[in-house]
Amino acid sequence: MNTAVFANTHPLTLRLDQCRKGATVRVTGLIEQPLFGAQDERVGLRLKELGFLPGAPLKVIGFGLLGSDPLAVQVNGTKFALRRAEAAKICVELIQA
Amino acid sequence: MSTPIRFALIGNPNCGKTSLFNRLTGARAKVANYPGVTVERRSGMVTGLTQPAELLDLPGTYSLFVTSPDEQVARDVILGQLAGERRPDLLIAVIDACNLRLGLRLVMELKSLNRPIILALNQMDEAKRRGISINTAALAKAIGMPIIETVAVNSQGVADLRKVLDDYAQQPAMPEGEQTLTLSDRQESVEALYAEIESIISQHVIQPAHLPRWQDRLDSLVMHPLLGLVVLFSILLVIFQAVFAWASPVVDLIDAGFSGLGELVATFLPDGILKDFIVEGMIAGVGGVLVFLPQIIILFFFILVLEDTGYLTRAAFLLDRPMRGLGLSGRSFIPLLSSFACAVPGIMATRTIADPRERFITIMVAPLMTCSARLPVYALIIAAFIPEQAAWGIFNLQGLTLFALYFAGVASAALIAWLMRRRASGREEYPLLLELPTYRWPMAYHLLLGLRERAWIFIRRVGTIILALSIVLWFLASFPGAPANATQPAIEYSFAGQLGHLMQPLFAPLGFNWQMCIALIPAMGAREVAVSALATVYAVGEESIDVALGSALAASWSLPVAYAYLAWFVYAPQCISTIAVVKRETNSAKATAFFTIYLFALAYFAAWATYQIASALVG
Repeated sequence: MNTAVFANTHPLTLRLDQCRKGATVRVTGLIEQPLFGAQDERVGLRLKELGFLPGAPLKVIGFGLLGSDPLAVQVNGTKFALRRAEAAKICVELIQA
Repeated sequence: MSTPIRFALIGNPNCGKTSLFNRLTGARAKVANYPGVTVERRSGMVTGLTQPAELLDLPGTYSLFVTSPDEQVARDVILGQLAGERRPDLLIAVIDACNLRLGLRLVMELKSLNRPIILALNQMDEAKRRGISINTAALAKAIGMPIIETVAVNSQGVADLRKVLDDYAQQPAMPEGEQTLTLSDRQESVEALYAEIESIISQHVIQPAHLPRWQDRLDSLVMHPLLGLVVLFSILLVIFQAVFAWASPVVDLIDAGFSGLGELVATFLPDGILKDFIVEGMIAGVGGVLVFLPQIIILFFFILVLEDTGYLTRAAFLLDRPMRGLGLSGRSFIPLLSSFACAVPGIMATRTIADPRERFITIMVAPLMTCSARLPVYALIIAAFIPEQAAWGIFNLQGLTLFALYFAGVASAALIAWLMRRRASGREEYPLLLELPTYRWPMAYHLLLGLRERAWIFIRRVGTIILALSIVLWFLASFPGAPANATQPAIEYSFAGQLGHLMQPLFAPLGFNWQMCIALIPAMGAREVAVSALATVYAVGEESIDVALGSALAASWSLPVAYAYLAWFVYAPQCISTIAVVKRETNSAKATAFFTIYLFALAYFAAWATYQIASALVG
């Protein structure tokens, strides 16, 4: 998948789980993730508390072993491991591919 | 004042709370559980104050809106909502100066509670090294609370902190009133709070845009999907080699020391029951187990170093996806790794796992990780049956055998977790959300304290449970004595001999002899006692006490039997404390019964299969 093209046509619908390793992005917002069911709201709150807020610069620094899962990202200088399910809650815009 | 004033340390995970705690209390922690929950409660008296003051080390948390049992405890203690636990008089919020935003967010949340609070800005030395410059005085003014700069490795900042605590203890302000927090209160304000923090940081802090380069370079190696795994397995292999190879000189020294002590005592005491009791019951029993202290210390040394450097969370990151296929996750990796030292703290560490199903599976398989108490048993049998020779030039055959035993445990755990997961599907997922802390050089002080604590726990076990079991065993093995016209060794006539013969038919398909059966009984109290039990059983009635246990075993067991005995110890849920902690953590008699029965069944089957297969191959 060519994320750069995707980002240009739909800048608001690019999600963190669609980004490549090394991509620098900015968080634009959080969306629902049905996989988390009833605790989706709680997951969203914790993501925000950890700094995944609109405007926060974010860098994709690595991927796990199978299916590029989980992702390692750096937000505000702190590194986190997120699964694709969590990353798919985070909408981003590309700063640098 | 009747009750001492109470301080509590609160902060994010990895902010250096525990090293501050050690500094303030002179590393004298009283470790217990919070009432009604199994979260570990560390408390101690602050040293060097004019008033007696208690310090609580609360579990690390990111927020008062909690997602796991240990975060819940931190919140409930602060709010005074945990029954039986007095609300702390003063909160000491700890922030890692290298991770200001995340720490300040929690602090601002705590501030909104209107409780007396001071801020310890920790790891200031590391922050300066990274080019982070903080105008502490202005920051203190902006957030409205006193700030003390601390460096956990030296005592300068800690002395300042102690002085502030002392001033507070002399005239504490005691605000009244209860706080209530609900999830909806805060949801909108996360953004607002962060905006405030950004503004504070931009005014009072100068931060470089990047982490030190080597941090990122190291991460691109250890978190690489393939190279990272190579690094991880190399580290594990080195650990197991070290446990076996590096420890042996010290082991030999301790061994020789106890034999010498036994001989020395034997020359001073008259022949008879007292001499037998002291030399064979006490010295041989305790010495046989204490010999393994160096190996246990080496194992804990590696676990503590890996934890302190921040590497363990990288390993959790790498293993998350493969472990998820088994119904576990990266979060279960750390409890499982601790279980290599001891399943009890390992099972307790599962409380950081938010998903109840995953937590259950982790608890069920944790004892399959080879704990340090099994090490003495493995070490004894390996030394007796596996030749000490090099394999492929660099590895030692004994070390490889040990690795294979550890591997058998891990592989079985994977299989069982997978089987359990298949029974539960179609449920909602839980997030991983794991912070990967910056790499840090481990602090010798912290490391030594951790090792001292572990060594002390082991020595205390040796001095209490193991000594008591050795004495009971010696008694069972010595009485009643052989009749005058005895044709067989005295032990055949003793209680232990009778008991062993009684059990033996049950274990005959596994090839176990009655001596091996006897050793299984005290091993329920502590696995490593199997070693002293065998020593007692084989030494009683011998001409001289210095017949090495290893050669006695080599002479009386066949190789398939030795393998079968090892296989039994890989699986058997021995050690009552593990079963007790499973009962406490799952709070279910059914789950505990399942745990006990499945592991015993597995042990029996594995030993039987090993014996049959090995016999067929050897015979």
